[in-house]
Amino acid sequence: MNFLGLEWFHPLFLFLLPVAVLPWLNHNLDKTVAWVELVPVDPWSRFISIGLKLLSSLAIATLILALAGPSVPEQTIERVGEGAEIVLLLDRSRSMDDPFAVKHQAAAVSVGGDNSKRRVARDYLTEFIKNRPDDRFGFVFFSTKSVNLLPLTYDKEAILATINANALGKGLSDTNMADALLSSAQMFEGQAYRGSRIVLLVSDGGQLLSDEAKEEITRLYKEMNLGIYWIYLKSNQAMTLEESDEDSMLWVDIPERKLHNFFKSIGVPYRAFEAGSLEAFAEALAEIDRQHYQTLIVEETLPHEPKTDVLLWLTLLAMLLLAASHLYTFWGVKKAHE
Amino acid sequence: MILSYQKRILLTAVIMLTALLLVMAALWLPPIKRDVKIMDALFVLDITDSMNVEDVSLNGDKVSRLEWAKEFTRRAFLDMPCGAHAGLAIFSEARSLILMNPVEVCASYNDLTRMLDEFDPHMAWARSSEVSKAVYTAIRQAKEIEPEPTIVFLTDGHESPPIHESLFPRFDGKPGDIQGVLVGIGGEDLLPIPKTNEAGEIEGVWDVNDVMHQDVYASLRADTTTNVPTKRTEHLSSQKKAHLKTLADRVGFEFLSSPRSPGKLVDAVRDVSVTRPQTIDYDLYLWLAGIALGLILLVYLPYGFFIRTDD
Repeated sequence: MNFLGLEWFHPLFLFLLPVAVLPWLNHNLDKTVAWVELVPVDPWSRFISIGLKLLSSLAIATLILALAGPSVPEQTIERVGEGAEIVLLLDRSRSMDDPFAVKHQAAAVSVGGDNSKRRVARDYLTEFIKNRPDDRFGFVFFSTKSVNLLPLTYDKEAILATINANALGKGLSDTNMADALLSSAQMFEGQAYRGSRIVLLVSDGGQLLSDEAKEEITRLYKEMNLGIYWIYLKSNQAMTLEESDEDSMLWVDIPERKLHNFFKSIGVPYRAFEAGSLEAFAEALAEIDRQHYQTLIVEETLPHEPKTDVLLWLTLLAMLLLAASHLYTFWGVKKAHE
Repeated sequence: MILSYQKRILLTAVIMLTALLLVMAALWLPPIKRDVKIMDALFVLDITDSMNVEDVSLNGDKVSRLEWAKEFTRRAFLDMPCGAHAGLAIFSEARSLILMNPVEVCASYNDLTRMLDEFDPHMAWARSSEVSKAVYTAIRQAKEIEPEPTIVFLTDGHESPPIHESLFPRFDGKPGDIQGVLVGIGGEDLLPIPKTNEAGEIEGVWDVNDVMHQDVYASLRADTTTNVPTKRTEHLSSQKKAHLKTLADRVGFEFLSSPRSPGKLVDAVRDVSVTRPQTIDYDLYLWLAGIALGLILLVYLPYGFFIRTDD
């Protein structure tokens, strides 16, 4: 609960606060005197009596406030760091269940094994993310309809748990890349520009995009100032995204190349990494890692700061004086009765 | 009881001194070590069409079952002790899809709830709802997570296409391998199910002729004991308690029908989970300061209203 700009762990204790007036209302410690006129007027004792009541009220009030457990709420501060804001777009289609970088046909039949593309992607991305303390990561759910599953966050545990979950189970039968690309851009909507923004696409294939989708993607990516990195997990070692003279007839019009050409054409920073082996995959991530240490404004959350001790110190001071005065009174009364 | 003036002064001095010592202890006594039981839970939310039926109430408002499930899950996160882990998954078609592996529930509360907010009928990748198979896949995938989480499966139990009791999908695992709680959501009355289109927007309701009313395999049988004409009500939905109970028994889960508070669910999860102890620092200040306050108040309570003190 928030009250007075502080967070309170046990706010119900605050209802006890009125009892702090009790010292002003009772006469438990009064001495009945036969005739008041007998007591000399003593401004000093009036002053001390009021002072003691104030101290008692203070002790009670600070104790109650301490019990209510105040703390300064979490605060976000901005500091300058080095890194990037990265949206991860991991292909979740069925083909990603196939093993990655196998040398011969026989090994290619084991589907969903430990070396499936999805799991390999998980392992390398985990390493990548752990090495980048200042980056902010987001994660897009890549299905028929994309959802910004995990909006940009600094919480490494959350993003790693999401990537791990992505490696479980089977792939989805239907994925829509255009929607996922748009969704990734929308992740930055309404966000202040802090430094380099990247959409990191990891997939083993391309998709044909409609003209509308292309237009929309071009517009959004330019507007949001996004760069695209595509780690293309090759299944055919000889095929390249760039056209070459040794091209097989079969590769001329494949979706991968069309996607590659589209990315090149939209005028945003773009780089493709063709990973045909584990080494190439690791090298691609290392390259991205090297390139993206630009200045970035990082938000950091400071945890709550409990303020209970301050109150207990106040109580302690008040109690020291009160206890001393009551001991002195006791000593005085004892003396008088002797 | 009437205390003499002298005794009152003595008592007050003693009380004040004790209170002073207690406040000192509250400030300086180091925290003691205490073990709390923590668990890992994987929350699977049904996002199929029947979850859009608005027949549950939340804070006095009628809301959809999915809204209720989301809010209930969020509150359950809050009720879990820090150190416990929670993960998120959705169920559509015939499988559970894990979206976030269990993370520490206090530190990652913000991201857990942000992901939970995104859960929406349009994330569904197909328009069927095979609850029992989804529970089985959740169990299979939970086994791949380290440590194995307890599954909390929130659903109304509506199977579409329907299944016949004698043709229940086969469960390959061993009941109790993975612990879990099935949380039944939804009212008693059969209500029309909102229908979502390709884009996930609600467009009218499922009509009586849009859905299958009988188990596909049962309908093929000539045997009239299994192939009995049933009432055609599969386009309507209520909480299928009997079915969920059967399913829970089959996989060794607990079944909780419409739990009233998230605390009850968290208790149930703790009961079935293989909990592990975690040592936390426990500060005694609350007790020490509380007793000190009680003592000081003893001095100032208005006894004068109840007893007379004459001297």
